[in-house]
Amino acid sequence: MNKILVSPSPHLHTKTSTKSLMRDVVIALLPAVVVSVLFYGWSELLVLGVSVASCMLLEFLITKYMLKKPCTLGDWSAVVTGVLLALNLPATTPWWVVFIGAVVAVGVAKLTFGGLGQNVFNPAIAGRVFLLISFPTYMTDWTKPAGFISNAAVDAYTGATPLGLVGEGGVEAIKGLDYLDMLFWNIGGSAGELSAIALLLGFAYLLVRRVIRPYITLSIWGTVAVFSGIFWLINPEVYTDPAFNLLTGGLLLGSIFMATDYVTSPMSNMGGVIFGVGIGLLTMLIRYFGAYPEGVSFAILIMNSVVPLINKWCHAKKYGR
Amino acid sequence: MMKTFSIGGIHPCDSKISKDCRIEVLPVPSKVFISVAQHLGAPATPVVKVGDQVKVGQVIAEPAGFISAYVHSSVSGTVKSIGPRKDLAGNNMTHIEIDVEGDEWVEGADLTDTLVTAIPEDNKEILDRIKMCGVVGLGGATFPAHVKLCPPPGKKADCLILNGAECEPYLTSDYRIMLERSKEIVVGAAIMKQVLGGCPAVIGIEENKPEAIKAMTAAVSELQATAKGYDGISVMTLRKKYPQGGEKQLIDAVMGRQVKSMGLPIDVGAVVQNVATSLAVYEAVQKNIPLVTNVMTITGDCLPMEKQHNYKFRIGMPLSYIAEYAGGVPEEAVKIISGGPMMGKAIANLDATTVKGSSSLLYLTAEQTVRGVESACIRCGKCAEACPMGLEPFLLNKYARNNMMDELEENAVQDCIECGCCLYSCPANIPLLDIIRLAKGDVIRIIRGRGQK
Repeated sequence: MNKILVSPSPHLHTKTSTKSLMRDVVIALLPAVVVSVLFYGWSELLVLGVSVASCMLLEFLITKYMLKKPCTLGDWSAVVTGVLLALNLPATTPWWVVFIGAVVAVGVAKLTFGGLGQNVFNPAIAGRVFLLISFPTYMTDWTKPAGFISNAAVDAYTGATPLGLVGEGGVEAIKGLDYLDMLFWNIGGSAGELSAIALLLGFAYLLVRRVIRPYITLSIWGTVAVFSGIFWLINPEVYTDPAFNLLTGGLLLGSIFMATDYVTSPMSNMGGVIFGVGIGLLTMLIRYFGAYPEGVSFAILIMNSVVPLINKWCHAKKYGR
Repeated sequence: MMKTFSIGGIHPCDSKISKDCRIEVLPVPSKVFISVAQHLGAPATPVVKVGDQVKVGQVIAEPAGFISAYVHSSVSGTVKSIGPRKDLAGNNMTHIEIDVEGDEWVEGADLTDTLVTAIPEDNKEILDRIKMCGVVGLGGATFPAHVKLCPPPGKKADCLILNGAECEPYLTSDYRIMLERSKEIVVGAAIMKQVLGGCPAVIGIEENKPEAIKAMTAAVSELQATAKGYDGISVMTLRKKYPQGGEKQLIDAVMGRQVKSMGLPIDVGAVVQNVATSLAVYEAVQKNIPLVTNVMTITGDCLPMEKQHNYKFRIGMPLSYIAEYAGGVPEEAVKIISGGPMMGKAIANLDATTVKGSSSLLYLTAEQTVRGVESACIRCGKCAEACPMGLEPFLLNKYARNNMMDELEENAVQDCIECGCCLYSCPANIPLLDIIRLAKGDVIRIIRGRGQK
């Protein structure tokens, strides 16, 4: 008779693996990637290429030569970080700035803490925030490079992001923005913020494939909508409205792809809601009252650091207890 | 809306490949080895000697404690030896070896197919027959049936739940008996219901078995129309989710009640019995036939359709004999399971023999069953989402690896039902259940030790 295996139950295993989950995230990001490349052309391709390549190279070199651990390149997590980092930068970012971002993301935020599963902060956001503080000029250069296809609304536009405009000129400055237009091509901003529809497509894909649960994302949206709604109703001359806040400043990109990062978000659904509400509140506080026009990255980073505490508080409801 | 249990659960493949294979009767081999440990609790004590002549259905071992059961001979012939023999896990256990001669049954056993619907009035006599016929739970745990049917003083059954969920992938034996022995199962249910004081009885079946739901519903209505004592029996369709057939989960699904930690189903007024147990009760009470046969499924993706079977076997048949009879062990099989793929045991020794609770020979291929390499926990929470007891396997895993017994107890490791949902769903291939199972054993030992002080 052939040799037979003996092991404890269960004897079947799901086909879902870390690799397939990460690959699904990359697939979910594809619509946003395609839109950004179409509109920002070669320079966006360069940013994407440099970001993904350097994240993968750094993951490989550091795990192999510094940590001397089995290489984790195969789990696709470096690719996810690379794509997310690129989508969080303006298409005009010079390649060496992108590389520095990758060093911070993969080298500092991820592998210093022990690699995938151990990092406290979302690597891509850590990279982006580091660049935002260190290279503010590059990070807020919103001149639009030549894309592969053109659109009047996008092409006509140079200068600051919608949120940047509000920061400088108040609500007056954004009068006349067409939200329906913004749903398809958000004017200015990081490459990944271009199209809300593309990001929502990715969200739908992640939900259908059961990669993420909706609680974190929806509670961020809810909090932002309610918070800005209240202020906007009190004084629409000073405060921007809910739709504007949901559609601009990387809120969709952050709430769908970065706040839902497994490693740096709470485990339980209840914890996810608290985490999401926290991100929503912090984002709006920064936008309305802070020095930066845009607050999603900071809000996520701050809430990342609270996750262990949330995990300690929030446990699932146990059977018969 | 279809009911199901409220916490966790997973949807593994269905793979009921052998569902249309009618139950075939296996021929009796020339020799059987009957284990004295076919039930939960103390192994039975042999009451026959080498050289004794036995008949089919004759008692060959007696219960050795309150939670124990009678064991009967499944063949007629001569006792050849009584001694240790390896069970399917490879552990030594006392087996009674019988050389088969003819097929002569004990007196009083009614071997006809006639359906007996009149239920004896004396509950004590019913319980006695169930006990004397060695009926044990056939859903997996093989807990002596008569013990479950005698609620302790002060506890009352509000509902008898018949478990026809068969939520494990691949297994089809319960499905087949629900189709082929529907009325007998309903009579068994009516008997148990009467013993429990006339509480309602609900037969819970998952939605993926529409034919079984139809057959059982028809059997219930027919018996209600033609005989007495069948009121209050109903069929409930359950939404498919594993582990629906778990006792605690089924109670939650059917009654909306949850058994307290370390508690018993009867604490919330529930008594759960498998449909196969109900059939055994029928045969014991109405036909005077002890539990010496059961139905098992021979299946696996690597078996061609003509080699898929549902067999009525006798206890004590070597598994290798059954495998040979069914066409041999397929080349691609790397693991043979007794039971379902989620909670069944991997067979280490194919020379082991069938017991009352045997439910399958399941062949799994390397691609299906070989575990992937363990990688880092990515904190996705899929294990906690899947756990039907609402536990957090990722957390228990960490505590267990660090021997943190107090934290393990606080986080209810002792409530784990070992259904395997956590290990099944982990994308990082962390052997969650392996580790939690060990920790659970340790913690339960600590809790029990504390009680004795």
